[in-house]
Amino acid sequence: MADTSIRSTGAQPSVGSSPGSRSRHFRRYWQLYVMLVIPLVHFLLFKYAPLVGNILAFRRFRPGMGPFGTDWVGFAYFERFFGDPSFWRAFGNTLVLSFGNILINFPIPIIFALLLYEVRNARFRKFVQTISYMPRFISTVVVIAILGEILSPSSGLLNRILEQVFGMEPIYFVNEPQYFRPIYILTETWQFTGWTAIIYLAAITGINREMFEAADIDGANRFQKIIYVTIPSIMSTIMIMLILNVGSLLSLGFEKVLLLYTPSNAMVSDIIDTLVYRTGLMNQNYSYATAIGLFSGVIGVILVSGTNWLSKKVSGESIY
Amino acid sequence: MVQQRKLHSMTFVDLVINFIMILVVLICIVPFIYMLAMSLSSPSAIVNNQVSLWPVGFNVQAYIQIFTYPNFFRAYGNTLYYTVAGTLIALFMTTLFAYALSKSFLKGQRIVMKLVVFSMFFSGGLIPTYLLISNLHLTGTAWAMLLPFAINQFNLIILINFFRAVPSEIEEAAIIDGLDYFGILRQIIVPLSTPALATIGLYTAVFFWNDWFNGLIYLNTSQYPVMLFLRNIVNGTTMVGDGAGSADKSTIAMSIKSAVIITSTLPIIILYPLLQRFFVAGLIVGSVKG
Repeated sequence: MADTSIRSTGAQPSVGSSPGSRSRHFRRYWQLYVMLVIPLVHFLLFKYAPLVGNILAFRRFRPGMGPFGTDWVGFAYFERFFGDPSFWRAFGNTLVLSFGNILINFPIPIIFALLLYEVRNARFRKFVQTISYMPRFISTVVVIAILGEILSPSSGLLNRILEQVFGMEPIYFVNEPQYFRPIYILTETWQFTGWTAIIYLAAITGINREMFEAADIDGANRFQKIIYVTIPSIMSTIMIMLILNVGSLLSLGFEKVLLLYTPSNAMVSDIIDTLVYRTGLMNQNYSYATAIGLFSGVIGVILVSGTNWLSKKVSGESIY
Repeated sequence: MVQQRKLHSMTFVDLVINFIMILVVLICIVPFIYMLAMSLSSPSAIVNNQVSLWPVGFNVQAYIQIFTYPNFFRAYGNTLYYTVAGTLIALFMTTLFAYALSKSFLKGQRIVMKLVVFSMFFSGGLIPTYLLISNLHLTGTAWAMLLPFAINQFNLIILINFFRAVPSEIEEAAIIDGLDYFGILRQIIVPLSTPALATIGLYTAVFFWNDWFNGLIYLNTSQYPVMLFLRNIVNGTTMVGDGAGSADKSTIAMSIKSAVIITSTLPIIILYPLLQRFFVAGLIVGSVKG
């Protein structure tokens, strides 16, 4: 029995349609199917069961009546949040924060990668890279805690510099609504610029050397080479990253917003995810919060497929 | 002559670029140096705003205080446990799944891959996930921190791509030598994939080490991870420096906060340069192909 299976494993197995070959297929590869079972069950349970759980958005949740609630209510919860001003406020804040974030933090890693690639000393380049990844590994809690100390009105480093150098009054940055968005966006810059740049740097490294040599012969300077060779060559990577970014437009760093949230900046810091958290987990309006969450999830899927489609049309790049 | 002028202008550009890079490096590390200086300074120096990037009135009081603080120790221990257990479970699950999925001749492999990719763009959402965890009676147990994150689709795809790159001749030779697929995975694939496993192991460990939100919604106070402990100090939910009394409680809290930040971040800062040579390759494989 073992003999036959050993001899025939050399070639890539062809999947036949006759029942005999099917049973042979399973007999030969049953161990691979066994390996698949536990992770697949786990995957379906923890990734797909919550997806099915979104049914709750259309059913009324009652405690003790199971995860899927009691009776169908159709789009009642959707109608409710569409008429709810706090939903629209959260929706608007999410969009402003997301677009602001993409506007600032999409180009910065590209620029950083382009500049870093121009650093001549290989050891210094490596050193800058190593240091610039580091913030990616820091917990959001730590980032916000450090921020709190640096921006503290009484003893924070920044306020002391503002006071001593510019003679300004201390500003309570984390409590003032107008500083919430810059703080959110700039901490993202701090945390992820170096990390995201890895991908662009890899793309730049992959460019054929001959292209630069040809540009040299044509008399291009460094700046012209970046504009006419490097950027067009990494355009496909840039497009793919843009699709991924737009796809996650509505799923901002929810934990960070939650950490930065104070009652006094609520007007600008309440986003869809924090609204879901407050209505769902804190006030236990499970069905209502599920409906809001589902809505933003669907918008996200539409955004990613839309950008993907557009990108395929315009540049031929797509992620699926 | 033309050559020379070019060379000259280059050095100026180089200077500007290097200056920007030094600035980037400073922006990345100055906050940590500031925290370190604060955690090692005397309360009176902090009160008088004398501390900037070097400790003033050097002392390790803040560290002594957090180490004698039982809740900090417990939270730190909890985090260690979640990180080690979570990473092991995740590596086990992801390796099995990725190895099976790397065999495109398996029936149903394509469908499962589609399910994996779809779930990257559309996830279950906070409330259904929360209700699932509580209906499985995982709330209040460490499993709530560990199980839901055992398979990360991004890491899975990195590993699948890595396994696919292992030449099939090696496996064929192993089968002729009498190994079955379990044996191949354990004795050949896993040892060959150490870089990839180290990469996703590091990602996973960092995730578990830094997690606090799941602790907040699923666990009891005694089970809190250290990041949640830190958040509660920052929020003022957990009082620190109680023993000191009087006016400078808030400055003591300041140096203790810094000490907690440093102690809870140090393991990662130490760990990541060691694994750095692996994870860059991992990120590139995962992002470009995923």
